[in-house]
Amino acid sequence: MDLSKVKDDRKLEICRLYYKGGFAFLPFLWAVNFVWFYRDAFQRPAFEEQKQIKRYVIFSGIGALIWSIALTTWIVIFQKYRVDWGTVGDELTFLIPSGSL
Amino acid sequence: MSGLIDESAGLMDGHIHESRARGDDFDEGRDVNPDRRQKERRSRPRPEHAENINDGDINSGPGPAGDQSAEWLNDQEELRYGAQHVIKLFVPVSLCMLVVVSTISSIGFYSKKDGIYLVYTPFHETSPQTSTKVWNALANAGILMVVIIIMTIGLILLYKYRCYMVIHGWLILSSFILLFIFSYLYLEECLRAYNIALDHITAVLILWNFGVMGMICIHWVGPLRLQQAYLIFVAALMALVFIKYLPEWTTWVVLGVISIWDLVAVLTPNGPLRILVETAQERNENIFPALIYSSTVVYSIIGTVNNESAGSSSGVQMDSPGDTESGFVPSWREEASERESARRRAMDEEEVQIRPRNSRSHNDVANELGLGDGEHQGDDQQRRQPAGRSPFRIREDEERGVKLGLGDFIFYSVLVGKASSYGDWNTTFACFVAILIGLCLTLLLLAVLKKALPALPISITFGLIFYFASTLLVAPFSDSLAVNQVFI
Repeated sequence: MDLSKVKDDRKLEICRLYYKGGFAFLPFLWAVNFVWFYRDAFQRPAFEEQKQIKRYVIFSGIGALIWSIALTTWIVIFQKYRVDWGTVGDELTFLIPSGSL
Repeated sequence: MSGLIDESAGLMDGHIHESRARGDDFDEGRDVNPDRRQKERRSRPRPEHAENINDGDINSGPGPAGDQSAEWLNDQEELRYGAQHVIKLFVPVSLCMLVVVSTISSIGFYSKKDGIYLVYTPFHETSPQTSTKVWNALANAGILMVVIIIMTIGLILLYKYRCYMVIHGWLILSSFILLFIFSYLYLEECLRAYNIALDHITAVLILWNFGVMGMICIHWVGPLRLQQAYLIFVAALMALVFIKYLPEWTTWVVLGVISIWDLVAVLTPNGPLRILVETAQERNENIFPALIYSSTVVYSIIGTVNNESAGSSSGVQMDSPGDTESGFVPSWREEASERESARRRAMDEEEVQIRPRNSRSHNDVANELGLGDGEHQGDDQQRRQPAGRSPFRIREDEERGVKLGLGDFIFYSVLVGKASSYGDWNTTFACFVAILIGLCLTLLLLAVLKKALPALPISITFGLIFYFASTLLVAPFSDSLAVNQVFI
């Protein structure tokens, strides 16, 4: 949908729902929320709901950031120690890369 | 199944109105002849009409004076806008084909035949004899078509008797399967092709995020770009499934048969898609946007600085749905229905592969979804309308764009993907260009005829001709030229 057509109160509603939805292990939702409402939160003349939108956007951004850092760290650790972990590592692996001759 | 286009007519109307609303600057640059311009303006319909007018009305201007030049100008403008939208459609169509072609050429899984086929294609073309293969392919295509026709009729019945819930459920279920199960397969094959290790935790997280976001974007609200991206991806996935699970010859026959069906369903007076569109029009509803890719171009500007006041449409998912009602609706709907049918097919196929049993319910769901959404949109519109009429209308007009059914995306991609699966890039590019030319011609016809048109026939015909011409004639010829070193 096109945000420019949407009323402010509806924007707030959407933003809030995106923010809340993000708690269901959905950092992507937060990232989208952050990008999508960034303009409304920071680059527009003040309007009634802006304060709340700003809050949700900031929190979403922080959440997405934390998630991405955590995920990156985890992936790095996993890739590095996967072989060392032996069986556990294999069990954790979604797809075990095959070797080549 | 595709109703390609549809709304272009509406589209054009929208543009015209828009330009009027904006004033001269919009056209000044291009318009050399001010007198003509004015006449043209006079003769154009009032904005109020715009909402419910069909395309044909455009030229029904009140002023007798300057009718001819006005019409001529109108046509000019329409063609010009049409051209703009053609390009807008090129990008997504090309992207979709790009996804399919790159997947086919990098991930062997999708071009490898491992003896598993869709339930709807019981004949596997295993015989070495050509006649048997042809017979198998025709039988398979026939079965598939019957399924599609039944699905389409089922959808129309559901819509006619207002079983929106069923349709809704169906659509959600189908998109759910596509977004979760098929993207799971896709992810796995991607990782396998590049031999990348991935842990379960990350994989689940990725799929969960991707799928949920897709569901939200398609069925609720989400950024337009993201929604378009999801639609393209879904279409590409579906095309990959077709390529993988349809027997060789059947694929080609199906492409041909489906474009004929598309023609019949959209253009026949009693064609199912046409009935669907007309019913939707009667009820003043929109067909679900989830199944249609809209090129919606938003022209910012205009005097409406307060977008918000103008756009009172809070719940509108689609940018264009509102527009749809005015001019695009018919074509839109057709596309939608086409898409839906395409989807259904896709779903059926999917079902076949994954869960043969539920296929039917699947299809229904998809169909219903589209319809259900339409309902919602209608509600939205109702809500909106009281809020702010005049500005709203203008906005609507602005937003119009050409819409192409997802089904069209799918079958274009199937053709190009199939061509690329033989590894000949010349053929692939020939098909790609042929399809784009076909699309151009269809859009041109749209501008001229101003009614919803099937998008598949021209493009697919061109594609098939180019494919067979280049594999059977051009490739051997250029090979022999190369062997004999003619160019050196």
